[in-house]
Amino acid sequence: MRGSLGTTASQAAPSKTELSRRSLMRGTALGAAAAAGAGALSACAPSAGGSDGGKTTLTVMAPENEIDIKAAEAALGLKIKRVEVDTTKLTAMLASGTAPDLVRGLGAVETPYIVARDLALPLDDYFAKSELLKEDDIDPINDVWRYDGSVQGKGPRYGLAKDYSQDAMIWYNTALFDAAGVDYLSDTEPVTYDQWLELGKQLTQKDGDTTSVYGLSAGGLGLFITMVNMTASAGGSLFADDLGSLDFSSPEGQQALSWYLDYARARVGFSPVEPNPDGWDWPPYQTGRLAMSWSGYWFGGSIAAEPALAETSRFAPAPVMGAERISPCFGATGYWIPKASKNHDDAWKLFEWFMGGQPAKDRAAGGWGLPSLLSLRADLPTGTPAQAQALTVQDAEADYFKVLSFTPYVKVEALDAVLNQYLPDAINDGTSAAALADTLNNDMNALIDEGKELVK
Amino acid sequence: MTATLEALRDTPPGTARPRSGKRGRAGQRTRTFYLFVGPWIAGFVLLTIFPLAYAFWMSLTNTDGLSPNWSYVGLDNYVRVFQDQQTIASLGRTMVFMLATVPTGVAAGLAMAVLLNRDFRGRALFRALFYLPAVVPGVAAALTFKIIFDKNAGFANAAIGATGGEPISWLADPYVRMVLIFMILWGVGGSMIVSLAALQDVPRELLEAAKVDGAGPVYSFFRITLPLLSPIIFFQVVTGVIGSLQVFVPSLLLAPVNGAAAVTAVPEGNYFFMVHVYAEYFAKSHFGYASALLWVLFLFVLLITGVVFKIGNRAVFYGGVDPSERKD
Repeated sequence: MRGSLGTTASQAAPSKTELSRRSLMRGTALGAAAAAGAGALSACAPSAGGSDGGKTTLTVMAPENEIDIKAAEAALGLKIKRVEVDTTKLTAMLASGTAPDLVRGLGAVETPYIVARDLALPLDDYFAKSELLKEDDIDPINDVWRYDGSVQGKGPRYGLAKDYSQDAMIWYNTALFDAAGVDYLSDTEPVTYDQWLELGKQLTQKDGDTTSVYGLSAGGLGLFITMVNMTASAGGSLFADDLGSLDFSSPEGQQALSWYLDYARARVGFSPVEPNPDGWDWPPYQTGRLAMSWSGYWFGGSIAAEPALAETSRFAPAPVMGAERISPCFGATGYWIPKASKNHDDAWKLFEWFMGGQPAKDRAAGGWGLPSLLSLRADLPTGTPAQAQALTVQDAEADYFKVLSFTPYVKVEALDAVLNQYLPDAINDGTSAAALADTLNNDMNALIDEGKELVK
Repeated sequence: MTATLEALRDTPPGTARPRSGKRGRAGQRTRTFYLFVGPWIAGFVLLTIFPLAYAFWMSLTNTDGLSPNWSYVGLDNYVRVFQDQQTIASLGRTMVFMLATVPTGVAAGLAMAVLLNRDFRGRALFRALFYLPAVVPGVAAALTFKIIFDKNAGFANAAIGATGGEPISWLADPYVRMVLIFMILWGVGGSMIVSLAALQDVPRELLEAAKVDGAGPVYSFFRITLPLLSPIIFFQVVTGVIGSLQVFVPSLLLAPVNGAAAVTAVPEGNYFFMVHVYAEYFAKSHFGYASALLWVLFLFVLLITGVVFKIGNRAVFYGGVDPSERKD
């Protein structure tokens, strides 16, 4: 039974009336503010899509310094206001009818979610007319920003990555390999996950129960998406074909879980029971306390800033779990235009300029990720041996890219939360992968079922 | 009407007419009152009452904040609160945290205040030093604590190692809650400064009279100083209880993942009720259920505060009056 504000449940119209939806959304915004502070409420203030002296004012949800606002205003003749990237704020702005005009997002895990909720504007018509973003120049990785209602990777484009990496690849410190007497990884042939874990054990240096060097870090960009990747690499799929359920109990799913449990129990890298106090891989890698980081090309941007470390850093292909060699992208961080934006055309202008204009060239030259346009790959840095090696490995890896479909019914954070809820006990208590799989299936599918109710 | 006319007639010439004068001043006072409290009332209604009401409304739905197809679920979300093991466990953890931090914090603050209320050289310096941690931003304090309690390179394990002990994984369960409690108590200077101010208000003549009568310092403290401080202690307990029941940010800051995603990786020991609420809102997008959780917490805080007041009324010496002798 659906309803609307101001009506009783029995009076409520069964269909999704615009008025009731908007009313509830406004309420949602205010409730969110009650929970999370005044930040959401401030977002309710009229801000997006205005006109100032004949110039359109665009509101962009982006981190500071990612978009050069002054350069964009000068290049496009627009006035641009930036707001911080914040789910609470986005919810409040969408709910209050002041949607931002451009929003930062993770294409790999968010596209089906925002499309299923009818939030994102399909951009195919704009792409078709664009002089800067031509279809045959767009890297296939950007298919993660496509969704046809049942399959991610097909259908209309809803966004584009500002840059990307194949996030299951490995950066390693040869100095620590030399110290442990371990052979370097191949530039072309991937290790298996079991070999990788074995290497991690050999590279880990302990002094009693204290670890001075961790062999590898298998946190990636989030636990759940790494499970999706490992299962796919084993030849299976965590999600059902209709993305309406998941199954860790499949042989491939259990293989992924078993590997992670073995890894965490071996205490050769960071996990929920061996927390990384820095929160991410760079600080321990930078200080020689981590031999292998499970990070994509973008990590090379940090490494390049440390010449000594760059000399001892190499890039290697993503490990494989089974028969299928894949090297997916977990993030594809980019931008999308909300349907509710009042300035679609101007938002596209900014989108196009940022993704295909001078900022895109500058980003490519910076080496902090791979460009979304194939024509910009020539701009990637190759000035040092480390950069050249990384690019060679990366070029060969591109053939193994695969879109890993993500469910539209639930956010990745929800599934990460479930994993983090059960993993510590499972790791410490010696729980079997099969038993853990059943628990995860139960809780995660319940979340997915709840999500289905909301996007029917 | 007749009486009014008679009153007007009897008013001596040159005297202001009582009717318009008194009423005018009263009206002006009323207007002034509402002018001053108006902004607060408007803010209270818009930023507290209205969101609370809307949160209640949301708690009757299954909305995720974005999806078009929400529906009414009646009181299902409230029923679920009492069936959700994670909710019950997080509430239990929060209560334990409150019981561990509030009495300890208030007692430690009072003890430090008593020490620093004595005359000795460098008193001002020590007062400043003890208060300093209270003004350190929470984020900086959390980062410092993460470094101190790092399993491999932290000072805590170095100290344990120096005594021959085994290193402890402080930032994981079950020890991470201890780190959080240390971190909270590190800021006890706030409580100290309040107690110190109150101590300086205790009349010296009372203490001197007690001394003349043969009372020792311990007796004087418990029979004179402490009763006179009891309203301030009670204030700290009430605000401490309310604050600790809503503890949230420190848990996130000590999580092994940075940023907003930290809420998905808070170790169980620090997974308190408000962390659960936040995870339900923004990780799981259960806006309806999370709103119900907030309302339950709101009522729970009211209940606990009521109990604290009930107990406080029997122990607090308001205006120096023994509560057992109060007539109200």
